[in-house]
Amino acid sequence: MVVSQGFRSDLLGAIPSLRAFAISLCRNADRADDLVQETLVKAWDKQASFQPGTNLTAWLFTILRNEFYSQMRKRGREVQDTDGVMTARLAVPPAQHGQLDLDDFRTALQQLPQDQREAIILIGASGFSYEEAAEICGCAIGTIKSRVSRARARLQELLKMSDDDYFGPDAISTQVTSSAQE
Amino acid sequence: MTNIYKDSPGRRQAKTVESLGPNTEIGRKLKQYYDDLVSEGVPDRFAQLLAKLEKAEIEPDKD
Repeated sequence: MVVSQGFRSDLLGAIPSLRAFAISLCRNADRADDLVQETLVKAWDKQASFQPGTNLTAWLFTILRNEFYSQMRKRGREVQDTDGVMTARLAVPPAQHGQLDLDDFRTALQQLPQDQREAIILIGASGFSYEEAAEICGCAIGTIKSRVSRARARLQELLKMSDDDYFGPDAISTQVTSSAQE
Repeated sequence: MTNIYKDSPGRRQAKTVESLGPNTEIGRKLKQYYDDLVSEGVPDRFAQLLAKLEKAEIEPDKD
């Protein structure tokens, strides 16, 4: 089959964001990379089922997420790392500026329940619409909305932020409102 | 302004849509956190893996 040429480079292009999502889910870089590897192998085997023209990244995120939860079920609660022991092994290069801030944020993010963390990452960082995020997580749009809402409230609480940093609507909100009618 | 304008849970819910953008501290931090990870690029193992998968597909009978 010669079909794979474009598919391979598309996969390659999706890897950085796939890894970022995997690390956000696993909170452990080594495990995240194993997860990405599994995802790539699965995606390769299933490439016939991918519909060209649809969102490849969303398709890959769905595979990765399914794989993550199925591994989690197999391994049991061990994956949860609630005490943050693995945190130090995250593959995040040290930055010079605002480091303390970002570290605080990362720590707070890791304390969120799994479902809330993935929701806020998909919407606020990966740039998916509520509709796409709901598809990836296999749940209703309203469920994603409420998870994002709770995640945000919890982060504010953990970081002792107020609502005062809100200035107005922006690109994400416009995109999201248009695709997320209830 | 003052605390009496603080959101009720219901209003907060409705506002969440606008609340993760670049104009918010949490929105900015989320992006910063994520972009740091994305900027790590593609580890060699994945490029090699894809090359291997492709090779296996092109030469399925090898072995």
